[in-house]
Amino acid sequence: MEAVRAQAAGNGLRFSEMRENSMSDESHASPGASRMIGRGAALCLLALAITYGIGGSVIEYAFSSDPLGPRAFPVALATVLGLLAVWYFLSPGQAEGFPSGALLVRVLSVPVLLVVSVALFEPAGFAVSIFILTLGTALTFAAPPSKALAGAAGHAALWWFVFSYLLEVHLPVGALFGG
Amino acid sequence: MNLEYLWQGFSVTLTAQNLLIGFVGCFIGTLVGALPAIGPINGIALLLPIAYTMGLPAESTMILLAAVYCGAEYGGRISSILLNVPGDAGAVMTAMDGYPLARQGRAGEALALSGLASFVGGMLGAIGLALFAPLLAGLAIGFGPAEYFVLMIFAFATLGSMVGSQPVKTLIGCTLGLMLATVGLDATSGAYRFTFNEPELGDGIEFVVLVIGLFSVSEAMLILEHEGRGVTVIRELGRMTARWTDIVKSTGASLRGSLIGFVVGVLPGTGASVSSAVSYTTEKRISDTEGTFGKGDVRGLAAPEAANNATACGAFVPMLTLGVPGSGTTAVMLGALMLYNIQPGPMLMVERPEIVGGLVASLFVGNFILLALNLPLVQIFARVLTVPNWLLVPGILVLSIVGVYSTHASVFSIFLMLGIGMVGWLMRKAGFDMAPIILGFVLGRVMEVNLRNALAISGGDPSILFGSTICVVLWILAAAVAVLPFYLSRRSRRRQQIAASTAS
Repeated sequence: MEAVRAQAAGNGLRFSEMRENSMSDESHASPGASRMIGRGAALCLLALAITYGIGGSVIEYAFSSDPLGPRAFPVALATVLGLLAVWYFLSPGQAEGFPSGALLVRVLSVPVLLVVSVALFEPAGFAVSIFILTLGTALTFAAPPSKALAGAAGHAALWWFVFSYLLEVHLPVGALFGG
Repeated sequence: MNLEYLWQGFSVTLTAQNLLIGFVGCFIGTLVGALPAIGPINGIALLLPIAYTMGLPAESTMILLAAVYCGAEYGGRISSILLNVPGDAGAVMTAMDGYPLARQGRAGEALALSGLASFVGGMLGAIGLALFAPLLAGLAIGFGPAEYFVLMIFAFATLGSMVGSQPVKTLIGCTLGLMLATVGLDATSGAYRFTFNEPELGDGIEFVVLVIGLFSVSEAMLILEHEGRGVTVIRELGRMTARWTDIVKSTGASLRGSLIGFVVGVLPGTGASVSSAVSYTTEKRISDTEGTFGKGDVRGLAAPEAANNATACGAFVPMLTLGVPGSGTTAVMLGALMLYNIQPGPMLMVERPEIVGGLVASLFVGNFILLALNLPLVQIFARVLTVPNWLLVPGILVLSIVGVYSTHASVFSIFLMLGIGMVGWLMRKAGFDMAPIILGFVLGRVMEVNLRNALAISGGDPSILFGSTICVVLWILAAAVAVLPFYLSRRSRRRQQIAASTAS
C-alpha cells in the first residue's frame, strides 16, 4: 500500500469542481493579478452582452404565436449579463491566475494536440489520430517515451476494440486503411 | 401516501440487466470518486453518450448514472482520508478529521467508519426521497407556466446566494448557460437564433457537447497545471474494520448529517459541498466540547460523509418532481433525460413512473451494493490512486472525443466541444464554477417557453407572473434567499467589528 500512495502522491491531485470550498489559497492569484483578470473578464463579458443583445434585437422572423416573440428573451438576458458584468468589474473578487512560462506552453499543448488529432480524425482514421493524441498527451505529462509509446498503442487498440466491436460505434477508418 | 410508483420501481430495478447496470455504475462511480482528477460530473458526462449509444432504455440509463453519482460520493472519501486530497467536492470536509485519523495509523478504521456513515446517509436520503417526492410532485401539478417561470427565478436566486463566495460569478454562469440555450431554431416563431448560418447549430448546442467540453477538456488542462503538487503521504492503513465504540459514538453525527444533507440537497442549486460544510460546522458546534475536531474525531468524519450521501439523494427531489436540478450533477442527469426527449417535471411521476420509481428503488439497492463494495474492497479502490496521469488523462480525452462523435457523428461537434473546453478553462482560471452554466443551459429553454406561454395566456400582461399565491410566495422566497446572505454577512462583520473594538 505504501507504493500505492506514493504513486498517487505524484499524480495530478486536482481539486475537482470544488473551488468554492478550497481549503488552501495556494492556487489563488495575488490580489492585483486577480483584479486585473477579473476586470479583463468583465470587459469581455460586457462586449459579449452588447454583441449578443444587438444580435438578439435583429433576429428575423415572420410571425410569432406569443406576444413576446423570439427577440425579447435574448435582449433581456443581454441586459442582465451587462449589469452583472458591471458588478463584476467593480468587485472582481478572487481569481486562480494563469500559469506562465514552460508550464503555460505545456498546458496549451493539450488543446493544440486535440485540434491536430480531431483534424486528422476522419482523413487519417481513429487509430492514427488517437495514437497521436495519447502519445502527445502522455509526453506532455512527462511520461518516459517508451511508456508513452506503449500507452498510446494500448489506448488506440483498447478504445478501437471497445467502441467499434463492443459498442458498435461507426468510427472513421481513414484513407490509409482504405476507409 | 401513494408509494405505488416505488413498488413499480423495484420491479424495474430488480431485473438482472438493471442490477448488473447498477453494480457496474456503483463500481465505476467509486473509482471516479476515488480519483482526485475526475469528479462525478465528469464521470457522468463521459458515460452518458456511451449509455445512449448502447441503446439502453431511459430508466436503465438513469439507474446507471444515479449509481455513478452515489458511488462517487462514497469513493470521494478514499483520497480524502489517504491523501488529504478530496476526490470530489462533497468530500472536502471528510479530510478534516479523516486525514488526521489516517496519520494516527487508523486509515483503515476511518475508511470503514466513513463507509458506514455514507450508507446511513444514503439510505436515509433515499427514504426521504421516496416519501417527499410524491408530496412535492402532487403540489407541483398545480403549477402553470407563470409558476414555473418564477420557480426557475427562485432556483437561480438560491444558486447565486448559496454556491461559492462570489455570487456575481455564479449568476454570470447561469446567464451564460441561459444564453447558450437560446442558440438554434425557435420553435414558436421558426426563427434561427445565433446560428451564424451554420446548419449544425440549427438544433442548438447539443448537451453532450457542452457538458463534455466544460468539464472534461478543461479538467485535463487543469490536471496538467496542478500536477506534482506535494501531499503528505499516509504509510499505514492499520485495522480495516470500525471499532464498535466509534460506531456508537458517531451514530448521532451520522443521523444529524443525513438530515442536514437531505434538506440542503432538496434546495435547488445547492450541492454536497454546501451540505458537508454545514453538517461539519453544526456537528462541531454540538459535539466538540473537548476541542478534538480537526484532530481525528470520528464524529467529524461521520457527519459530512453522511451528509454528502444524503444530499445526492435529496438533489433528486427537485429534479424529478419540478424539473429543477438540485446540484450540478443532477443538472447533467436532467440533460440526460432530455436527450431521451423526456420532459422532467411533476407529470413525470404520472406519465413515466418506471423512470422515477426505478431511479428511487435503485438508490436503495445501490446503497447495499456500495456498502458491500466499499467495506471489504476498499484496498482495491485505493490502488486506483496508482494510475499515473499520463495514462489516465489521455483516456479521458479519448472518451471525450469518441463520446461526442458517437452521439452526433460530426467532427464539427468535436471542434465545438474543444472551443467550449478552452473557454471553460479560461473561466475556471478566472474563478468561475462550471455547474451554474450547465444549470442555466438545462433550464434555459424551459424557462423561456414558460415565460412566453404565460404571457400568451395573459395576452401580454406581465402581472400574470404575480397573479397566483404560489407565484407571490416564490417571489418572496427568491427575494429572501437573494438578500439574506448579504444581510447575514454584514451583521457578522458588524459583530466582529464590535468584538474587536471591545477587545482593544
